[in-house]
Amino acid sequence: MRGKPALVLRVPSETRFLVLIRDVAERMAESAGFDETTAGKVALAVDEATTNVIEHAYHGASGKLVEVRIEDRGPELSIDVIDTGAMVDPRSLPRVDLTRYASERRKGGLGVHLMEKIMDSVTFRRTARRNVCRLVKRKAARG
Amino acid sequence: MGDLVVEARDFEDIRLLYPRGFINAHTVRVFEGELQRTLKDGRFKIVVNCSGLSYIASAGLGAIMGSIEEIRQNGGDLRLSSLNETVRNIFEILGFNHLYRIFPTESEAIESFLSGGASL
Repeated sequence: MRGKPALVLRVPSETRFLVLIRDVAERMAESAGFDETTAGKVALAVDEATTNVIEHAYHGASGKLVEVRIEDRGPELSIDVIDTGAMVDPRSLPRVDLTRYASERRKGGLGVHLMEKIMDSVTFRRTARRNVCRLVKRKAARG
Repeated sequence: MGDLVVEARDFEDIRLLYPRGFINAHTVRVFEGELQRTLKDGRFKIVVNCSGLSYIASAGLGAIMGSIEEIRQNGGDLRLSSLNETVRNIFEILGFNHLYRIFPTESEAIESFLSGGASL
């Protein structure tokens, strides 16, 4: 089954736009057939991926661009969050251990953990000076 | 900014916080600021009433995690009440429901402090 054309958002690297990205992602997930609860979780994963870009790839600098590409591929919803900032490999981060998290006074690392719990697949790759975080949610495995 | 406001009230020695809006990387400073103000005031028994909270991202959960040790070391606890389904889902996904006491209503959370219930 062929997917529908992708929706592409290009927004400045500022946290005030997170709510806009979240709203669009949620509506696209609902439009792709996910229930309200799952669509909300997918939107949160997109929020987290975009936050990572702003805070880590761009180190909080505004005036850069974040591209969010949302595509209903039929059996799955695929969302790419793309930046041209520093390469960040979240796989290199220590795994979140919630029992130790508080005592270590850590504040980061929860976002990737959350993304992995919500989505069926979370991948990071670097191509032509762009970082691409791909989030995939399969329609057959909802929840 | 209308994205998040946090009201604070005291009931006996318990600080009640009412975040209204959403907590993400943009608004977390507002929430974190109110938590820090609470600790500075020497209030370590805290109830966060989430009835006005539409959603919370990891930034907000990090703010809670970042202050919980100080709160518990001072004999207090941070307890949550009145979570909507979205917020409860996020807490459960991360296993926060095993780290924090969560109550259906604010009055039950307050009662848990008054009756001397321990933290998790």
